[in-house]
Amino acid sequence: MTETATLVAPAGAARRAPARPDWRKRGEITLLAGPAIIVFVTFVILPVVMAAFYGFFRWKGFGFPDDFVGLDNYIAILQDPTFRSAVGHNFFIVIASLILQGPLAILFALLMNQKMRGRSLIRVLIFVPYVISEVVVGTGWSLMLQDAGALNSLLEKVGLGSWVQSWIASPSIAMGTLMFIISWKYIGFAVILMLAGLQSIPEELYEAAAIDGASFWQTQWRITLPLLAPTIRIWAFLSIIGSLQLFDLVNIIWGQYVAATAGTSTMATYMYLNGHLAGNYGFGNAVAVLLFLISLVVALVYQRFALNRDTAGALTGDGGRKKR
Amino acid sequence: MNVRKTWLAALATASVATLALAGCSGGSEPADDNALEMWHNSTTGDGKAYWDEVAAAFEEETGVKVTMTSVQNEDMDGKLQTASNSGDMPDVFMARGGGKLADFVDAGVVKDLTELISDDAHAAYGEASFSAFTVEGATYGMPVAVLPQGMFYSEDLFADAGITEEPVTIDELNDAVEKLKASGVEPIALGAKAAWPAAHWYYGFALRACAEDVLQNIAVDLDFSDRCWLQAGQDLVDFAATEPFNNGFLTTDAQEGAGSSAGLIANHKAGMELMGGWNAGVIGSLTPDGQPLADLGWFPLPATDGGAGDPTAMMGGVDGYACSADSPSTCEDFLNFFAQAEWQEKYADAFDAIPASKEAQSAVTDPALQEMMAAYNEASYIVLWLDTLLGQNVGNALNAAVVETLAGSGTAESIVDAATQAAARG
Repeated sequence: MTETATLVAPAGAARRAPARPDWRKRGEITLLAGPAIIVFVTFVILPVVMAAFYGFFRWKGFGFPDDFVGLDNYIAILQDPTFRSAVGHNFFIVIASLILQGPLAILFALLMNQKMRGRSLIRVLIFVPYVISEVVVGTGWSLMLQDAGALNSLLEKVGLGSWVQSWIASPSIAMGTLMFIISWKYIGFAVILMLAGLQSIPEELYEAAAIDGASFWQTQWRITLPLLAPTIRIWAFLSIIGSLQLFDLVNIIWGQYVAATAGTSTMATYMYLNGHLAGNYGFGNAVAVLLFLISLVVALVYQRFALNRDTAGALTGDGGRKKR
Repeated sequence: MNVRKTWLAALATASVATLALAGCSGGSEPADDNALEMWHNSTTGDGKAYWDEVAAAFEEETGVKVTMTSVQNEDMDGKLQTASNSGDMPDVFMARGGGKLADFVDAGVVKDLTELISDDAHAAYGEASFSAFTVEGATYGMPVAVLPQGMFYSEDLFADAGITEEPVTIDELNDAVEKLKASGVEPIALGAKAAWPAAHWYYGFALRACAEDVLQNIAVDLDFSDRCWLQAGQDLVDFAATEPFNNGFLTTDAQEGAGSSAGLIANHKAGMELMGGWNAGVIGSLTPDGQPLADLGWFPLPATDGGAGDPTAMMGGVDGYACSADSPSTCEDFLNFFAQAEWQEKYADAFDAIPASKEAQSAVTDPALQEMMAAYNEASYIVLWLDTLLGQNVGNALNAAVVETLAGSGTAESIVDAATQAAARG
């Protein structure tokens, strides 16, 4: 918006145009931006404001809330050990996703950036889990990983009966199971991003490195990784936000009630259980606000310290102009 | 400057458009006396066909067209709530009484039927089944079926395991569990993933441990300080310590598919299941040929030693239908219509359930259901499912705490604490 302003204002002032074309321009902007603004305000801003409002009430979800309780809901949430452990699970998932998926995705992308037979087939296979709906993935894995499911039967049949585990319900394994499924599901997305990043690196740099006698790993370390860094930072941002808001896979595989005892509950499943299923909509809205605030703080911190290198000039007007 | 004006213009457009949109949805249609909308929870098979048949017969007799909408059982409460807020409630909708109904009554969206239920229905049903729908002395629902709790079991698997008598005490039940284990099947199927089936065990023990007045008053005073609530938790912990439930019960569904707890009974993988009266129908739909399970038997939940509750008392639910506050008078006519013995008999047949009308109970032919019905009619008193009775808030917390305890990360105390905390929160 700022960029548009600096471009539009001098042009209008220089020509000293009469009011009519100016109004036409405004009309155009209004016409083009109007629908998007309406949708954004109605479905994003308004619900956030309403959630903040409802969070101050004890409200069963009928009619207009009238039982104002101030910060009671927030106090109850923050004192609830199951909420605190859910937050802990969320942050564990954030970090484990970065550690597990990042290096793997870069390796896959490097591999698939080479010319080799069956490359497009492998690309498709890695990307397929990302395209399948979460519900299908969740139902499929939960059937396979049940105690009497396919995986345990297979282990028994091949003589590995001692490996049989309660993959979903056992608190010591459940988080590992979840991380495996999340990595399997979302690594395709990371690989595609990394591949696109790799392909934007100019070929000449590799040629120059080759002439200078750089080894394969030196080339990757000195050229590929630094130039891939903006892509990695964007991917990490998307991964962090996705991990904080994780709901569907946990909800389908574990269900709302078992997730907490198995140690895979997230802030979103906590909100669904204690807000929607318990019929305490005021309380649930307060959880939603906390989830929003936590995500917002994480996003802002990340933007400030990691993403600002990439967005300098594009989003931060002043910094960009100075550089130019 | 320019930017600010553009923003103002855009906001003006936005607000005008929003007003226009609001204008579109603001007008509500006046209630049409010759049409009713009904939400029920039968999505397939005989149950759905039954309601279509009732609607057709009612239209033929009165000229009032009833539009039927099937709503998935688990979605019913949420959808009703949304509908109540948007002022778009169906005229007739499914209700299960207790605290959940009381929430709707508090919100003023349910019609008081006290004076509107026909004398015939009162005479045929008896007061007991209406009590589930009574909130502060007024009646808000027409029952269609009573669904008592009990153990559904496979007679063949019991015979294979050498169990000759239906267990009457907990010791005999423990004995049956050991025999079933020895015969190589899962002793008791439990779909704990949805929590409520696991909580039914706690309710069952509470029914035996707590005196009648404690249970009848709990929905109002929400006071869990009586020792019996702790005792019920301890009974549950002791029982669970014998590992009576199927392998992986924490991730087992209750009613969906062959791997669910009802599916384990239907496919002779597990010996018995503690469940409500609708289970015969659910098990029937999950057998390999989709027919009722031929060797299905039933017995009441065995009694624990020395509780304050009457050993013949039963827990159970009542399914029924309510009218929305602004429904036309044809709504209560419709309720009174399907409360007639003829339609109640057909209901029993279509749903494999015990009809609420005593006049229609002769239509029940399934031996397991007949046994259940006899026990129900002889019970000294009936207590509604505790989670229904206590309402969503406390009921949900109780259910979650029971699962936690069965998973080994909770105790008898933590069940009581969870219920008490939720009561304070709601």
